[in-house]
Amino acid sequence: MTKLSTGKGISGSAKLDAVIALVLIAAAVTLPFMVESRYILGQIVLALFYATIASQWNLLFGFSGIFSLAQMAIFAFGGYATAMICFYFGLNVWAALVPGAIAAMVFSLVVGLACLRLTGVYVALLTLAIAQAMYLLIVTDTECFVMVGSICRQFTGGAVGFARFGDLGMRTLLKGQWLVGNYAIIATLFTVTMIFTYVVVKSPIGLAFRALKDDPAYAIARGVNRFQAQLLVFGISAFFTGLAGGFYAAHFQAIGPGVLSMSQLMFIIAITVVGGLGSFWGPLVGTIVLVLADELMREAGEFRTLGLGIIIALSIVLMPKGLVGRIGDLVRFLRRRSPRSAMGPQENAALTAK
Amino acid sequence: MLDIFVSIIVAGLTTGALYALATVGLSLVWGSMGMLNMAHAAMLTLGGYVAFTASTSLGLPIGLGFLAAIVAGAVAGGLLYVLIVSNLLRHDKSTFESNVMIATVGIGIALENAILLTYGGQPLKQPLSVSGALVIGPVTLPYQNILIVAVVLVLMAIVALLLGKTRMGRAIRATAQNRDAAQLLGVAVNRVYFQVLVLSGALAGVCGVMVSSMTQLSPPLGNDPMLKAFIMCVVAGLGNLPGAITAAFGLALLEAFVQFVAGARWGFPSLLFVVIAVLIWRPSGLFGRAQIRRM
Amino acid sequence: MSVAAKPPVLSLTNVVSGYKELQVLKGISFDVGAGEFVTVVGPNGHGKTTLLRTISGLVPLRGGAIRVNGQLVSAKPHAIAALGVAHVPQGDLLFPEMSVLENLLMGAYLAPNRAEIDRRLDEVFTLLPKLSERRHQIASSLSGGERRMVGIGRGLMMGGQILLIDEPSLGLAPLIIEQIYGVIAELSRSGRTILLVEENPARVADLADKLHLLDDGAIVWSGPPADLLARDELLATYLGG
Repeated sequence: MTKLSTGKGISGSAKLDAVIALVLIAAAVTLPFMVESRYILGQIVLALFYATIASQWNLLFGFSGIFSLAQMAIFAFGGYATAMICFYFGLNVWAALVPGAIAAMVFSLVVGLACLRLTGVYVALLTLAIAQAMYLLIVTDTECFVMVGSICRQFTGGAVGFARFGDLGMRTLLKGQWLVGNYAIIATLFTVTMIFTYVVVKSPIGLAFRALKDDPAYAIARGVNRFQAQLLVFGISAFFTGLAGGFYAAHFQAIGPGVLSMSQLMFIIAITVVGGLGSFWGPLVGTIVLVLADELMREAGEFRTLGLGIIIALSIVLMPKGLVGRIGDLVRFLRRRSPRSAMGPQENAALTAK
Repeated sequence: MLDIFVSIIVAGLTTGALYALATVGLSLVWGSMGMLNMAHAAMLTLGGYVAFTASTSLGLPIGLGFLAAIVAGAVAGGLLYVLIVSNLLRHDKSTFESNVMIATVGIGIALENAILLTYGGQPLKQPLSVSGALVIGPVTLPYQNILIVAVVLVLMAIVALLLGKTRMGRAIRATAQNRDAAQLLGVAVNRVYFQVLVLSGALAGVCGVMVSSMTQLSPPLGNDPMLKAFIMCVVAGLGNLPGAITAAFGLALLEAFVQFVAGARWGFPSLLFVVIAVLIWRPSGLFGRAQIRRM
Repeated sequence: MSVAAKPPVLSLTNVVSGYKELQVLKGISFDVGAGEFVTVVGPNGHGKTTLLRTISGLVPLRGGAIRVNGQLVSAKPHAIAALGVAHVPQGDLLFPEMSVLENLLMGAYLAPNRAEIDRRLDEVFTLLPKLSERRHQIASSLSGGERRMVGIGRGLMMGGQILLIDEPSLGLAPLIIEQIYGVIAELSRSGRTILLVEENPARVADLADKLHLLDDGAIVWSGPPADLLARDELLATYLGG
C-alpha cells in the first residue's frame, strides 16, 4: 500500500533533494583536502564507481522493474570497448570513452531486444546467461590475435585482460597528486550521472517506467508503449554504465574478466537492495554503508564474502525497502505522532472497523 | 566414427541426466511457489561435500554417504524456507518474485563461501564414485556414467510417483496450478512450500554427489549445472516438469555435439543461442502454457 | 429439524473487508441456519464475491466477526475449510492440468479415510453422472458447463457444513444455467445448507428461503425472494431492472 510513498517521503520534494545534493557536492569538494591517505582516497574512487553502476541498475530494476542481471556485463563492455579502442587504434583514452559508452549502449539494446517479450525472472535468467557466456568466451579465448613483442595477445585479452593502454592524463598533469585529479573526474562522472538519472526519473518517461513497473497492464492500457520504454531505459542506463566502465578501465589502467565475476554483480545488487530499491538516494546510501562494512570485514579477512551474502539476505528479509525506506518509515512515524498528522488509509479502515 | 558418435551420445546422456536432476529441483520450486532459488547451486555443492565428509572422515559406507547428502540438502531446503522464504511471503506479494531471488543469491554466496572456508578451495576427489567401464566391441561405457543415468532415472520415477499418486504430491500440484483453489480445499500452502523446498533440496543433494563424481569437488561446483538448469527451465517453460526433463536431455546432447564439433568453449553459447531463439519464438517456453502470473 | 437450539451454521456480524485502500464490505450481518438456502443478490462490483472470499478467508477480515457453528473464525483459508466451509469459487478455479477425478479427489483433501472419499465420490457421481463419464478427462479440456459441474462436485467432495456458491450462472448459456440450477435445487432439497450469490434474483426466486440485497458493500433489503420480485422500485433502484 505504500509502494510509492517511500519515494515521495524522501525524494518527493525537489527542495529536499536539492539540499541533499548541495550538501553532498560540498562534502565531495572538501573531501580531498581532508583525506590524507591515498588508500582511503583510492577506496572512495572505487566506491564512486560502485555508486554509479548501482544507480543505473536501480534505474533499470528499481524504477522500471526490469530485472536485468547483465549490469556488470554492460559495465565490462564499456570498459573493454574503451580499452580495446585505445589498445588497437592507439587513441587517447578521452577520445575512446564516449565511443566505448555507445558500444555498451548498443550491446545493451541488443540484450534488451532479446528480452523484449519477456517479463520478470525470465529477463533475469536470460541476462544472467548472457553475462556468463560473455565471461566464459573471454576467459577461454586463447587464439592469438596480435603479437605484442614475443607475447601472444588474444582479441579479447583472454584471462589476463588489457593493461597499459593509456590513462586519464592526470599523472603527467598533477604528478604525485594524480589520484586527486582522478577523484575529481570520477566524482564529476557520478554527479552528472545522478543529475541525468534524476531528470529521467522525474520526466514523463520516468513516470511511464514507474507505471509499467507498478501495473504493466494498466500502463499499457493507458497508452504506454512497453517495448519503447523498455528499450529506452536499457539504452539510457547502459550509456552511463558503459561510460563508467570506460572511466574504470582508464582509472585502473587495466580491465579484465574479473569485473564480470558473480561477486561483483552481487555487490552491486547488495548496494541497491540495502540502500533501497527504487529510491533515488538508495544506491548512494547503500554504497556508503556496504563499502564501510566491507572495509570493516576486511579485518575479518576470509569471512568477507560470507558476511556480504548474509547481509544481502538479511536486509531483504528485514527491510525490503532498504535503508532509505526505513528512514522514510521513521519520518512518517515521527510525523504521525505530531497532532496535525494527515490520516492514512490504514487508520481510516481501522476507524470504520470499530 | 562409431566410437566418436557413441562417446558424444554417452557424454550427452550423462550430462543430460545431471541437468535433468538439477532442473527438476528448480522447476518444482518455481512451479509451485513462483520462487527462483538462486541458492540451488550451493545446495548442490553442499550435498557433494557432505557425502565426501561422510565417506572419508566418518568412514560411512557409500549408501549412507548418499543418504547424508540427501538429508543435508533437505535440511538446507527446510532452513531456507523457515529463515527466508516464510518471512518474505509475509511482505507485499508483488515483490516476492524478485525479493526471494535476491535473498537466495545472498544465501547462495554465503553457503558457497562457508564451504570454501570449511574445506578450502583445492579440488577434492569425490569418493562416492565407481571406476571401470563396460566394453562392448569398439564401444566403451564407463560404469560411472551408467550409474548416474540409472540413479537419475530411478529418482525421476520416484518424483513422478510422489507427485502423481500421493496426497502430498497432489496437493503440491494443486498449489502450483491454482493456489487459491488449493487453499479453499484445505491445503495449507505454507506447508506445501516447505515440503517442496525440502524435496528440491534433497534432489540437489543427490545431484551434487553425481556432478562431483564426474568432475571434482570444489566450492563453485553447483554453479555451472544451475546455470544450465536455468536455461533448460526457460526453454521448457518454467514449472513444466516433463518439458524440463526433455529440454535437459535435448540440450545436453546438443551441447556435447557442439563441444565436439566446435570446441568446448562454444558449448554454453550455443545453448544460449537456442534459448534466445526459443524465447523470441515462444516467450513462455517451448512446452509452456501461457503462464499464470502469481500475484 | 431441531435447529432452534443449535447456533446457526454461519453467522456474520458487522463484517468489514476489502483490498488495499479499497473498503468493499462495510458491515454485513446475517445468519444462515442449518438446511437453509440463503441468497445474496446485487449488481456486479458491489462485494458479492468479496463477501464469499472473506467468509472462506481468502480476503482477510478487517472488522466484525464470522462464526461457523458458533465458533469464531479468524484463521487462514485452509483452517476455515477444515471447519466445514466449502467454497465453490467464481470461475470455478479448477486445477487445469488435473483430470476430473483428480480435481474431485482434491476436494476430499481433508477427508478422514479412503472409505469416506469413496462414499462422497459415489454421491457426486450419482448427482452429476456426466462427471463419471468424463472422470479421466483433463479439466482444461472441458466445456464451461462441465467445468461448473466439476467445481460444484469438488465443493461437495469437501463434505462441508455449508456450501458457498459464487455466481453459478456466470458465462454459461441459458440452457446450461437451467441444468446447473437444477443440480443446486436438488442439493437444497437433500437438506444441504447453501449460501449463494447471484446477480439475477429471478433465478433463485423458487429456491432460496431468504434473500439479502447487497448494494455498495451493505445489505439494503432482506426478505423472501418473492417479495423482492414484487417490488419494482427496489429492482429499479438496485438492480437496474
